[in-house]
Amino acid sequence: MLEIKNLHVSVGDKPILKGLTLSIQPGQVHAIMGPNGSGKSTLSYVLAGRAGYDITEGSITYNGEDLTALPPEERAAKGVFLAMQYPVEIPGVTTMTFLKTALNSQRRTRGESDLDAIGVLKLVRAKAKTLNVSEEMLKRALNVGFSGGEKKRLEILQMALFEPRLAILDETDSGLDIDALKLVAEGVNLLRSPERAMLVITHYQRLLDYIVPDRIHVLAKGRIVAEGGKELALELEAKGYEHILKDVA
Amino acid sequence: MTLAVARRAEATALFAAQGVPTRRVEDWKYSDLKSALGEAGIGAQVAQWHVTDLPAGVEQFDLSQANPPGWVIDNFARGTGNVMSAASLALSVGGVALRVPKGAAIADLLKLDFTGPGHVRALLVLEAGASLTLVEGVGLSEFRNVGFEIALGEGAALDHVRVSPADADAVLVEEAHVRLAAGAQYRAHFASFGSRLSRMELEIALEGAKAQAHLSGVSVLDGKRHSDVTTRMIHAVEDTLSTQLFKHVAGGNAKAVYQGKVTVAKGANGSDSNQSAKALLLGEAAEADLKPELEIFADDVKCAHGAAVGDLDADSLFYLRARGIPEAEARGLLLHAFLEDAVAQIANMDQRELVRTELLTALKVIA
Ligand SMILES: Nc1ncnc2c1ncn2[C@@H]1O[C@H](COP(=O)(O)OP(=O)(O)OP(=O)(O)O)[C@@H](O)[C@H]1O
Ligand SMILES: [Mg+2]
Repeated sequence: MLEIKNLHVSVGDKPILKGLTLSIQPGQVHAIMGPNGSGKSTLSYVLAGRAGYDITEGSITYNGEDLTALPPEERAAKGVFLAMQYPVEIPGVTTMTFLKTALNSQRRTRGESDLDAIGVLKLVRAKAKTLNVSEEMLKRALNVGFSGGEKKRLEILQMALFEPRLAILDETDSGLDIDALKLVAEGVNLLRSPERAMLVITHYQRLLDYIVPDRIHVLAKGRIVAEGGKELALELEAKGYEHILKDVA
Repeated sequence: MTLAVARRAEATALFAAQGVPTRRVEDWKYSDLKSALGEAGIGAQVAQWHVTDLPAGVEQFDLSQANPPGWVIDNFARGTGNVMSAASLALSVGGVALRVPKGAAIADLLKLDFTGPGHVRALLVLEAGASLTLVEGVGLSEFRNVGFEIALGEGAALDHVRVSPADADAVLVEEAHVRLAAGAQYRAHFASFGSRLSRMELEIALEGAKAQAHLSGVSVLDGKRHSDVTTRMIHAVEDTLSTQLFKHVAGGNAKAVYQGKVTVAKGANGSDSNQSAKALLLGEAAEADLKPELEIFADDVKCAHGAAVGDLDADSLFYLRARGIPEAEARGLLLHAFLEDAVAQIANMDQRELVRTELLTALKVIA
């Protein structure tokens, strides 16, 4: 589903990703761990299509198509979803209006008809309930004044609503209390299916207890430096990144 | 008998001395009226006014008629030394005077339109305790100058909504002089889509304790269009309150101007004023000149003012696009969001919706 080959990415003149290779099959969940500043969010932004990230070498293929040629909105319509590490606050746009606009925009780009206001409302309410997102939050301006955990829950609500084929979660677990973490993990597990794939970026093994990954990659200095099954997370938790990085020249 | 003979003579002299403002006049630095008018100048035509369905309880007098009633004589041409206001007084015998009598709460909107080229005067008097919503319509014309006077008695409340439509050629100027007695409230919203030159000038005198003025405005400008709101807020006595919130979006070669001077006079202690002007520029050639200014001669006052010019926030734009909203639509949504807090100040719900709809249409073109 997703093939990243020898990816080099610079921001300005600064090289950040330096030959990253990663392949995810439909139905799989992969996790990426790695020290601060290693390039995890950079990878997630490049996948979502944010401007200012220059791909100097390598390729990204999504369902056989060159992903880098598409603007962000088309990637979204084709099922790429990024739950951001720092969701943006947008005063003046209510959360509900935003959700409706986004959902119908994606549908339109795919050539599907709009859902009417009541249809969207029902859908959003149903998903909001399971994620403990209150009616009051939906009426407020998007992310404005939301607590860290509320912002993350809203990201997952969007994921549940858009039903993406490739979901990338950038530290969605950071700043969540135990109950919220379980809710988020449940949301993710509900979406797991043979057609979908997920890329979960996290610092904590704890999340991977709930969302059990098929594969874990360690990203350091812009490259994948170690890979393994879910036991790798336990090892990292116990020993830190030092001993892995030592082996990398 | 002609109304205010002596004041017309003064106005004639003032206009003769100062002439049509150019950008060398400090107040008109960003709005060169003389060059916008070109050879045609300001002329001496009398522009038209029109009231649609005068609400019951509102009295109307045509200023070109003889024998004005006492309330007109008492309130007419009390304005200050504003040069264009003087021109309208000197050059026009036409116009309208309207009165809401003491204590009358008028539920229906008062719709007053100005049309055609030339100069015209208007007077609106709300007596003590009266209330009204005025919807002012701005008809397009190569040149029009409106001299408006508004007098609010004790505890009177006026909502004033004015929408100035888009036009590449029109030159439209208006001076409103608003006087407020104790406890009176003036709320005004100015939506402007810009013209060759468009200027709304307000002088607001808070003359009675606890008088309040709340001004807001939005403009969406494209092409070579121009929009100028110039305000002078005078806190003449203690415990007066004023707020101003202006938001502009300018693309193309458009120019948005806000000049706002707040004066808190000696003895106007405990006054509170807040002034904010913001602009988003959508291109290299668009311009915003935002000049909030404060002059304080009193003690124990709360005054805040700020201005900011920027462009659309890249992070917000990316967030919306990453959720599937196409770029133009995402930009439109953010621009609308930027303007929304100013629009939300329009108290009348129907008028608020109308302004919103017009903004959305204009933003679709510009985004
Ligand atoms: N716009 C930018 N300009 C300059 N440097 C940048 C920019 N964006 C990211 N970087 C740098 O790129 C490197 C990788 O950043 P990135 O955010 O991808 O790290 P991360 O792995 O997500 O870290 P964390 O675990 O702290 O979230 C960092 O050194 C960061 O400072
Ligand atoms: Mg990060």
